[in-house]
Amino acid sequence: MSTQDDDMPLAILHTDEDHGPAPEKAGFLPIETNWFDRVFISVVIWVALSLFWFRFMEPAGLTIWISNAIALALACLIVTRG
Amino acid sequence: MHPNKLGWLLLAPTMLILFLFGVVPFFYVIWVSFHQWNPFAADPSMIFNWASNYRQLVFDAQFMASLGVTLAFVFFAVLSELVIGYLLAQAFMKDFPGKAFFRTIHTLPLIMAPIIVGSIWKLMTTPSIGIIPSLLDSWFGYNLNIGQSAMAAFITTVVMDIWHWTPLVTLSLIAALVSLPADPFEQAQIDGANKRQIFWHITLPMIRPAIIATVFIRLMDAMRTVDEVLMLTGGGPGSATRYVGVHIFKEVFPRTNYGYGSAISVIVLYLTIVVCWLLYVGLIAPRNTKKG
Repeated sequence: MSTQDDDMPLAILHTDEDHGPAPEKAGFLPIETNWFDRVFISVVIWVALSLFWFRFMEPAGLTIWISNAIALALACLIVTRG
Repeated sequence: MHPNKLGWLLLAPTMLILFLFGVVPFFYVIWVSFHQWNPFAADPSMIFNWASNYRQLVFDAQFMASLGVTLAFVFFAVLSELVIGYLLAQAFMKDFPGKAFFRTIHTLPLIMAPIIVGSIWKLMTTPSIGIIPSLLDSWFGYNLNIGQSAMAAFITTVVMDIWHWTPLVTLSLIAALVSLPADPFEQAQIDGANKRQIFWHITLPMIRPAIIATVFIRLMDAMRTVDEVLMLTGGGPGSATRYVGVHIFKEVFPRTNYGYGSAISVIVLYLTIVVCWLLYVGLIAPRNTKKG
């Protein structure tokens, strides 16, 4: 008895793989990442940098927007080349 | 109907419920954390205050202290549960008289509500009426008083957590051990491997996914422990057992400081995700060697 998969052409069977997880790539980060990993790492760094800024840099008169700009630049770098 | 469309249609109710009860409250807590909000005050409106709650949080010595004791609690509790859970799982893999009875008895703490566990441990550790101070005094001459000794209170909360949650670790590891194939173990024995080598080179790598999943579950749970500890010590003595969950509870409910409590909750969630991610990267990533 043939199953539904037996009747399908090979090209159709392979279409599911096309919609699988995002492809991983090797950048300057020490681990292989896909785009979601790199966005996640960027958000983690942004939050950590903001808390550090609130605690140590803002009392010295440096506004939080500088931290946000650094985090945004880092995020662009990580997402494109990480 | 296309199979994909039917699949999405069948998933839709679950996704809708997840969205309503998971995603919406998550973003609502983030939204509240950027506000000053006391719904029981004369003016119950939410006042947007940018990141003032987060600014206040990094200077809050009590929060920092609670974060420190929480991380210590999580480390000792989860590590102990993992070791004891594995030893128990190995013990339950062997046949001995009354095995089914002991396996049932040892899982009973799992079905108890945390508030009940806290109440029972409070009764058991209260000086003059509790069985634990009485036994410790008669056996070792040690006077256990978790209302006075910060270290005793901390250790008692760790032991209580171990007692409550080790069965979960045991059950997970039993499931992992039962599913292992016999061939690698037989081959290792034929090759002359001893028990230590079999454990390090065969058992441990093969049950690693189960260990990681169990550690993640326990870690996330231990980071937000509230009711057991609140019932047992109330966060005391002083702030010795004021874990972040207890800190949030005391900040939100008695003081009705919802904005600040939400900010602490978001940071605790952030820390939990980061710790889990670091563990995942540290334990899984080395296996997937980087290409290029």
